[in-house]
Amino acid sequence: MTRTLVLIGHGMVGKRLIEALRAGEHGNDWRVVALAEEARPAYDRTLLSSYLTGGDAERSALLTPSVPDDPAVRLMLGTPAVRVKPGRRVVHAAGGERVGYDALVFATGARPFVPPVPGHDRPGCFAYRTLDDAERVRRAARPGRPAVVVGGGVLGLEAAAALRALGMRVHLVERSDRLMAAQLDAAAARVLAAFVAGLGVRVHHATTVASVDGGPGGAVRGVTFAGGATLPAGLIVFAAGVRPRDELATAAGLTVAPRGGIAVDDRCRTADPHIWAIGDCAAVHGRCYGLVNPGYRMAEVVAAQLLGRGGKTFTGSDASVRLKVMGADVASFGDAHARTPGAVEFAQLDRAAGRYAKLVLAADGRTLLGGILAGDARAYPTLRAMLGRELTIMPPGLLAGAASGR
Amino acid sequence: MTRVVVVGAGPAAHRFVECLHRRGHRDPVVMLGAERRPPYNRMLLASVLAGALPAEAVTLPDLPAGVEAYRSATVTSIDRATRTVHLDDGRRFRYDALVLATGARAVVPRVPGIRWRGGLSPQVRPLRTLDSCVALGPGPVCVLGGGVLGVEAALALRRAGHRVTLVHRHPYPVNRHLDAAAGTLLARHLADRGVDVRLEREAVRYDEGLLVLRDGETVAANTLLLCAGARPRVELARAAGLAVAGGIVVDDRLRTDDPHVYAIGDCARYGRESGGGVARAWAQAETLAALLTGGRRRYEPVPAVVRLRDPELSVVALDRPRPRAADGRAETVTFTDPAGRRHAALEVLAGRIVRGVLYGLPQATAAATQLFDRDLPLPADRLALLLGTPPRTGTGDLPDDAVVCFCNTVTRAGIVAAWRRGCRDRAALGEATRAGTGCGTCVAEVDRICERLGAEPARGPATETGRLLAVGSGVTP
Ligand SMILES: Cc1cc2nc3c(=O)[nH]c(=O)nc-3n(C[C@H](O)[C@H](O)[C@H](O)COP(=O)(O)OP(=O)(O)OC[C@H]3O[C@@H](n4cnc5c(N)ncnc54)[C@H](O)[C@@H]3O)c2cc1C
Ligand SMILES: Cc1cc2nc3c(=O)[nH]c(=O)nc-3n(C[C@H](O)[C@H](O)[C@H](O)COP(=O)(O)OP(=O)(O)OC[C@H]3O[C@@H](n4cnc5c(N)ncnc54)[C@H](O)[C@@H]3O)c2cc1C
Repeated sequence: MTRTLVLIGHGMVGKRLIEALRAGEHGNDWRVVALAEEARPAYDRTLLSSYLTGGDAERSALLTPSVPDDPAVRLMLGTPAVRVKPGRRVVHAAGGERVGYDALVFATGARPFVPPVPGHDRPGCFAYRTLDDAERVRRAARPGRPAVVVGGGVLGLEAAAALRALGMRVHLVERSDRLMAAQLDAAAARVLAAFVAGLGVRVHHATTVASVDGGPGGAVRGVTFAGGATLPAGLIVFAAGVRPRDELATAAGLTVAPRGGIAVDDRCRTADPHIWAIGDCAAVHGRCYGLVNPGYRMAEVVAAQLLGRGGKTFTGSDASVRLKVMGADVASFGDAHARTPGAVEFAQLDRAAGRYAKLVLAADGRTLLGGILAGDARAYPTLRAMLGRELTIMPPGLLAGAASGR
Repeated sequence: MTRVVVVGAGPAAHRFVECLHRRGHRDPVVMLGAERRPPYNRMLLASVLAGALPAEAVTLPDLPAGVEAYRSATVTSIDRATRTVHLDDGRRFRYDALVLATGARAVVPRVPGIRWRGGLSPQVRPLRTLDSCVALGPGPVCVLGGGVLGVEAALALRRAGHRVTLVHRHPYPVNRHLDAAAGTLLARHLADRGVDVRLEREAVRYDEGLLVLRDGETVAANTLLLCAGARPRVELARAAGLAVAGGIVVDDRLRTDDPHVYAIGDCARYGRESGGGVARAWAQAETLAALLTGGRRRYEPVPAVVRLRDPELSVVALDRPRPRAADGRAETVTFTDPAGRRHAALEVLAGRIVRGVLYGLPQATAAATQLFDRDLPLPADRLALLLGTPPRTGTGDLPDDAVVCFCNTVTRAGIVAAWRRGCRDRAALGEATRAGTGCGTCVAEVDRICERLGAEPARGPATETGRLLAVGSGVTP
């Protein structure tokens, strides 16, 4: 008998769930109804910046993602779910349609966090999450004019790079004393900051935007920093983090983790046996990942359960990240901050060359636990593959003399 | 005939007269030493003080025959016009070449109660001379100053069963030579050994048996051991009108501004070089002996290797004289193991160590010090050097079950299998395994695997051998 899976959200992870499910099925055990808020099928969100900086071909590839023509999958674009009734196992879609389910999966992703400073919603302020956001930013960009990016994390740097490529004079505001604070240590952040500054992006460390100021008509005219200094700017991009979209689940009475995200176990199950959550919206044992790979792992774990092969669990995924913007090559993987008890750190910094590499090893000095690369992250794929294993190869980037890569 | 007179009888003077003799100098040599002992090795004084070594054990080898050595002979003035030195007992000696090797004296902090009747209070001892190392009386000892000397003395005295407090002005001991990480580990070691360590504290008064600190705290101190540094003994030179600036100023021939007067050892100051040490004293003594016997040598500042002498510790600080501008170009190599109490920080210029601190890494210390001493380049795998493990190379295979493509969970084994089935490049492998088709991060590693497989002796079908070799040409297995 065919059962119905309702998927809320057709983002990168939701799409992956459908693929995994369809690839593992022999017959047509499942019929899938996917409710998508966005007007287009899932696209590669990680390429948002190339949408801004790339050519027409890249743009149209992103704008018109392809989904396989599959009679077992009904994709309802531009039709967000507005209500979930677990007791009746039914989902209300915008427009009034009600869809019953045997299994329900939340893949609603995350929304950008916009700090509630006065003026944050003035015309000229943008978030950085969807293609529509990117399109708005593209239209508002004015070469030669100043722009402010709020947030010095991965997203903020990407946005800054994109605005720079659009010819704007970019100011990046980071609350802490280092860029990519979640992923980098102080030395790597300095290498990155020097590089970014060299490209003409002005980085404002250890300060926040206290207000967004308007000109005639209310449009953005500039920002005021916490210290009182002001900066003229006609375009503001908020990239100050994301928050899991758990509101629909909350309204349905599902448990939400203390720091947000739909609470699930290592099989991505909520307390309701018919409901799962995966991707950016899910908090596995309290933790939200906010990255594609962990989301994919979760999608696979849930697909296995829907196919009756329930053994797979999500064992956590490290938040490995490689950022390649404006030619700055930065990566952070595994236990980058050496939080494992007994962990040792080995680091090489070449200030003149703008290159830094750090390895985190277990107490035995052999097992690779993580690391940070800045200025040259070519060793990243090799090192990441060696995570948790004895470091038997020293990637050229970490060997003196070979460092220049010649 | 050149009559050489040496003022001072420490390691610098001792090495100088020895070299002079070895180089064939047979003209008169006079050595005038203020101490009543024959020349001795100061480096082991902490052990003598703690009773671990008898005083005789530190005596330096006998002087060469023919050296006229006088003990308890204090030079009080130099008459440069007549080229004569005067002693406190009225004797005088004429010289053709005068070598000042007056060393340094312990700094006596200006703390009320330490000085007494023009000398030192009987309970206060500077750690500088053998005479100050007679057995300590009972009761707690306070070591004032946490430099190399203070730390060595504190540990030696503690090992000998004394109650010891170490008072140091800076946030961690040996701050002149160590970085904060190593200094902090050292402070922990001292505490573990039972030394009561008081950091960032300053003494303001000494009342019999009690040292009062600025914050009002008091430290029991039946003996107060001064380890607050040493200052070059320059008064003789200054009174004679020679140039003095943080030491007796010398050029690269160890000559003062008087062509007949030289200075070596802790009392001499060459260029920016600061601080003493036997290695420097010896290098200067040898250079000067060579120059005075017709050699063409010039003095070059020696790389400093500062070790903490303690049976339980492996701590070394390395420092090579270099232009200031070089520092910005140096690479930094660090190793930190807070739990295992190991730490290393090296500054590397053109592949060579110019500065370094190693703590708790005896094997690495030996290797690094050797390379530093001989100014040899470090091996490429510096982690292996620091851990004392065999060096790795940049090539090698990942384990078969290592995940290469995280987006699609493809292992190396999966890629190898596809290769064996005939997928010979990134694109073909991607199609077969999905490796590299996600975020694209791993394509470099997929390429590397391809390259290495190409270099591997063919295991595939014989017809493919030619292709395999072609792919692998130029790649070493
Ligand atoms: C610019 C940018 C660059 C990034 N770069 C990287 C990177 O390099 N590497 C990396 O690992 N991660 C990156 N990320 C993060 C990555 O994009 C996310 O982790 C990933 O998109 C999560 O997938 P998801 O499907 O869980 O959520 P999303 O991709 O956010 O998809 C969720 C979808 O659900 C929809 N939705 C929400 N509520 C409803 C509802 N009620 N009804 C119907 N639909 C709903 C949303 O509109 C959205 O389309 C980047 C993100 C951005 C914005
Ligand atoms: C406890 C201790 C441990 C040390 N450990 C180390 C170590 O591990 N490594 C290291 O490199 N260095 C160490 N040092 C420093 C090292 O001992 C000195 O660098 C070295 O002794 C310098 O030799 P010198 O001959 O120049 O001076 P000194 O050894 O100071 O000798 C100078 C001599 O000249 C005499 N003199 C001075 N003025 C006159 C005068 N007017 N007339 C006659 N005689 C005079 C003095 O009485 C003295 O005997 C240590 C020092 C001490 C005290």
